Amino acid sequence: MKKQYSTLLLSLLITAGLLASQANALDLNKVLKDAVKDKVEEVKNGSETPLEKIPDAAPIATPATPAASAATTAEAPATTAIPTNTINWKNPSQDEEIALGRNITGSLLGAAPLVKDDALQKYVNQVGRWVASQSERADLPWKFGVIESADINAFAAPGGYVLITKGLYQKMTNEAQLAGVLGHEIAHVVKKHQLKVLQKQQLLSSGSNWLKEKFAKGNKLADKAIGSGAEISARSLDKDAEFEADRMGMVLAARAGYDAYGLAEVLQTIGQANKADSSVALLFKTHPAPDDRLAKLGDSAGSKLDNVKTGKTLENRLYKLN
Amino acid sequence: MKNYLKNCLLIGLAAPILGLAGEAGTAIKADVLRAEPFADAKTAGNLNKNDSVDILGKKGAWLQVKSKSASGWVRILSVKRGGASGSGNSVADIASGRAGTGKVVSTTGIRGLSAEELKAAKFNEDEMKKMESHAVSASDAQKFASAGGLTSTQLAYLKGAK
Repeated sequence: MKKQYSTLLLSLLITAGLLASQANALDLNKVLKDAVKDKVEEVKNGSETPLEKIPDAAPIATPATPAASAATTAEAPATTAIPTNTINWKNPSQDEEIALGRNITGSLLGAAPLVKDDALQKYVNQVGRWVASQSERADLPWKFGVIESADINAFAAPGGYVLITKGLYQKMTNEAQLAGVLGHEIAHVVKKHQLKVLQKQQLLSSGSNWLKEKFAKGNKLADKAIGSGAEISARSLDKDAEFEADRMGMVLAARAGYDAYGLAEVLQTIGQANKADSSVALLFKTHPAPDDRLAKLGDSAGSKLDNVKTGKTLENRLYKLN
Repeated sequence: MKNYLKNCLLIGLAAPILGLAGEAGTAIKADVLRAEPFADAKTAGNLNKNDSVDILGKKGAWLQVKSKSASGWVRILSVKRGGASGSGNSVADIASGRAGTGKVVSTTGIRGLSAEELKAAKFNEDEMKKMESHAVSASDAQKFASAGGLTSTQLAYLKGAK
């Protein structure tokens, strides 16, 4: 065990050093170091997960995989202004970010189309756009949608795309809760959480190919570690990214004039779901437990929101689904 | 007596708004119960992690709760709804007619959103165009906010807790 671990560490540190010179916009050196650190933790804890079972980076990275691969095939829509197979992965432009998000979102819509209710879709766009206007990326072409799924989940994609499931929408009892949930997803876009995961995946996979050609031929251990670096790194990043999105989402909703606790109320509701229920399977797989998220939110908020003017909940304006 | 009246008033005001009255909750961490919904109010007791409480009302950032040993106000984020086991529908879900709505089986032939199904998903240009057609401009969103009496306010992001 110990030997395996030090060999792994060594090979990855060498890798990190070799690749460091290639990285500029994204700190590849750090990416690899993080990957090593996480891998080491796993080996230490004996909790190493079979690589093929590691869920893709959450919450959007799951659909990200088909989208990213679709983008490199002929299936990519002709209407995409910027072909996603020529993206400058080290430092993507905003237009490239949007094109990438469009591909990911379109794939998600391929799995679950929009709920056929224009008034609902417009309503969610109005709430979402208003919350997004409170963020530092208010200028993005934000787009929101409710998808036909009984699952309880929400997704964000780079460039300002946000989808929530009908199952989650139906759990809400007021507009402030919707604002809080959309705020959480908006925060993922603002902080480029998914984009960074995709960048890492891309850079690591190209780095890994380059290495395999140069050195690592037949070195299975290196293959395994390098090839999966992005997923491993993304997984540990995600927990913090989720907590950060919770904090930001709560503040964005409060900035928009809503009751600050809408997101917390939804988390409280989700926390009551039976963990064996398939409608929450993906959400629970890709997110920290609702109780942990609430506790973290509480620790971060402390008394800081005590003097915020009590916001509106607007239960009467929440669009009712049939 | 004065306090009693005040509490009655607070409960009366808060409870109907959220429909929380009488709902069961569980402390997700140890916290102090306050006599009033303010950080500097007198201590009314303590909550231990996993203590069961009855949620009596809500005011701003505070929930009024009753535990086995004490009553008072505690921060919203220190309590989760439902019992410690955390399963089944809450009183509020049942009361609001929402019980089970999340489990409605879609009849539109949606395959689902499991990781495997998402991996196999194909880009849908028609749905994408539809989504784009629903987009709202910032100024229209502003009008929508005003119509609901929403005004934006400044508030700094929160730092992560250790």
